[in-house]
Amino acid sequence: MTDRTSTWPWVVIAGAAALSFTLAMVSPADAVQGNLVRIMYVHVPAAWLAYFAFFVTLVGSVGYLATRSLRWDRVAASSAEIGVFFTGLAIVLGMIWGKPTWGVWWTWDARLTLTAIMFFVYLGYLALRRTTTDPHIRAKRAAVLGIIGVVQIPLVHFSVTWWRTLHQPPSLIRPDGPQIQDSLMLLALVVGVIAFTAIYAALMVKRVELQAVEEQLTAAELSVDRPVAGEAVTAPDLALGGEA
Amino acid sequence: MSQWGWVTLAYIVTFGSLGVYAWSIAYRLRTTRRRLRELE
Repeated sequence: MTDRTSTWPWVVIAGAAALSFTLAMVSPADAVQGNLVRIMYVHVPAAWLAYFAFFVTLVGSVGYLATRSLRWDRVAASSAEIGVFFTGLAIVLGMIWGKPTWGVWWTWDARLTLTAIMFFVYLGYLALRRTTTDPHIRAKRAAVLGIIGVVQIPLVHFSVTWWRTLHQPPSLIRPDGPQIQDSLMLLALVVGVIAFTAIYAALMVKRVELQAVEEQLTAAELSVDRPVAGEAVTAPDLALGGEA
Repeated sequence: MSQWGWVTLAYIVTFGSLGVYAWSIAYRLRTTRRRLRELE
């Protein structure tokens, strides 16, 4: 049985969160946005991890189909769940920034709408995984969706340049380089992205471990002989000739 | 609400939800291991 109880991933999560928070607080306010720019130091890393996590799900899905090894499926499933968490977080943080900036919590802008669709597609991926207990059937079905679903990443990212949207264009990942002039603001954003990626990696270590233990439990439950009737019903004692 | 109020809300949501999610993984890991031990 897998019984690794290492604590280092929790230490990494706490340390990376503290570093990201500190830099976001000491960086200067923006000339236009004021202090609201500090929300970008968590919103952008969360959105980056949404892309990255679903890309890792693609890698895990292709890996499973190529090798039929459940190790790849565990990576794909774990990354999808973490990706759903960070996509949801990016959407909520965008809403918290949008209300004081745009005056609305939500608008049917191309970037926002496509991100919401991506969120629900990967929720569907997680739901699909619960339709069967057979690990290989589950892995095969999920891998197909994990490969198709990744098409959404470029759609979401380039939506702000392909369509006229309210959402501003990328400030970090763009052909002409980052568009942030202040070095401390750029540092807060870049370190935030790196710190959140470390948090993702630490969560993955534990989530993959959980996936393996859950598979062991399912296999153990299926191998146990279960009574046909409930525990309250006892078999007749045949040694007594069926008499009480 | 002031700008700092929105920033505070954003950081409570970020690190609060991250803490809850990390705790949920640890909790599921602990309870699944316990059930597995009970079966073995």
